[in-house]
Amino acid sequence: MIRALYTAASGMTAQQLNLDNIANNLANSSTTGFQQRRLAFSDMLYQNTVAPGSAATQQTTNAAGLQVGLGVRPTTTETIQTQGDFNATGNPLDLAISGAGFFQILLPNGQTGYSRSGSFNLNSQGTMVTADGNPLDPAITIPPNATNITVGSDGTVTVTQPGTTAATQVGTIQMALFINPGGLNSVGNNIYLETTASGAPVIGTPGGSEGLGTILQGNLEESNVSVVDQFVQMIVAQRSYESNSRVVKAADEMLQQLNQLSQ
Amino acid sequence: MDSGLYAACTAMMARTDALDTIANNLANSSTNGFRERHTTFSSVLAGSGEPLESQLNVVTNSYGLLGNSHLDMQSGSLTRTNNELDLGIDGPGFLAVQTAGGVAYTRNGSLQISTKGQLVTQNGDPVLGETGPITIPSGTPVSISADGTITAQGAIAGKLKLVEFSATADPQSLGSTYYTVPPKDVVNSTMSQVRQGMVESSNVNPVSSVVELISAQRALEGMRHALTMIDTEIDKTAAQDIPRIS
Repeated sequence: MIRALYTAASGMTAQQLNLDNIANNLANSSTTGFQQRRLAFSDMLYQNTVAPGSAATQQTTNAAGLQVGLGVRPTTTETIQTQGDFNATGNPLDLAISGAGFFQILLPNGQTGYSRSGSFNLNSQGTMVTADGNPLDPAITIPPNATNITVGSDGTVTVTQPGTTAATQVGTIQMALFINPGGLNSVGNNIYLETTASGAPVIGTPGGSEGLGTILQGNLEESNVSVVDQFVQMIVAQRSYESNSRVVKAADEMLQQLNQLSQ
Repeated sequence: MDSGLYAACTAMMARTDALDTIANNLANSSTNGFRERHTTFSSVLAGSGEPLESQLNVVTNSYGLLGNSHLDMQSGSLTRTNNELDLGIDGPGFLAVQTAGGVAYTRNGSLQISTKGQLVTQNGDPVLGETGPITIPSGTPVSISADGTITAQGAIAGKLKLVEFSATADPQSLGSTYYTVPPKDVVNSTMSQVRQGMVESSNVNPVSSVVELISAQRALEGMRHALTMIDTEIDKTAAQDIPRIS
């Protein structure tokens, strides 16, 4: 009886976490380069009262065992690596990745962060930085008198300067690829950090044989959150929470019946 | 004391155990690949082996116990996720997984790639192909055909091992949506097809679970009334009123 109470409570806690995750996905449905997370559940341990196939008598065995499960636990919030839609902005410093790669961003603490958000700006030194002011790694610096910035699909950044007709190459954007991008650690501000689960990054130039994908200049990658899907998930979470609370109520009422026995 | 008192008491204990299973089913209604369990009650004849004096004894001495719980092997619905490493299994098949405790079977096809490049479950256990764990080159789109053949970078990376359980098998739940059966009950599945980009939701039926919940609750209530009646009407009369009359 007490088992049922705790089992139902585990279900309610899990659905609450599910709703927290759905809320975060929905809140970030307009965040550039955001990748939605999905909460996965798994069933907990089982108590075996009668093992299947154990001897019922000397001649016969029990056809089925008696196993009582002890609830549910949330296991992972895995990022879903589907491509978001492209939003054509026309801004030369808006870059979208078509493929599985990540931009490398140098964080203030010297660590390298990884991002799918390609909304770059220039800082006072002409370096390409994210909205938070963190530079691309390796850094790309645009000369102050550049009139036209072009980023090729292979990451080559070229500018044209007044008085010259030929374009000058100022750098190449490098990207990183992970064997298990679902295992990256989200730290906010569209930044992911490498973990032992994600594996070490494979670094290369876009469009190469590593499978990093290509860069699309003048586009931004929208978040890959499907609002309809999240709403459906939300309804499922809510109803599941409700049915678990129904179990708590039933267990409570059954306990009450037992307590009334002595009256 | 009347055997009816103990019969009602046993029935109450059985119903509380049944509630635990219903609670577990409902708690796992969002667990992908989960299979719900159903409980079966069995009756035990107290003093069996001795000749029964009357038909009445059959009823009064029959105790309702929670006999066993079995897995409901019905498929859950396949939900589209468009995630390339999500596999839904259409048919009775299970994926074979190499766990630390031996080979287990699962219907939870929400897979990942480990840092070693192996195709793993959410618990990090490698999924078995026909020739052992499957390694997938990184950063390439993975395509999985209906028969379980995995293609990456234009080359075949492996073929998923799909098995089914024989009809007489009683799969045991190991937790983490893993199930196990004795090796003799495992056969290769020919009827199952893999659907990439889909995941199988839990097969818990909320309607029947709530009905089971209500019936367990009401059965317990009924047993309580029976207990009270035996206690107040019959035993009290026997223990207190009859001595007073004499």
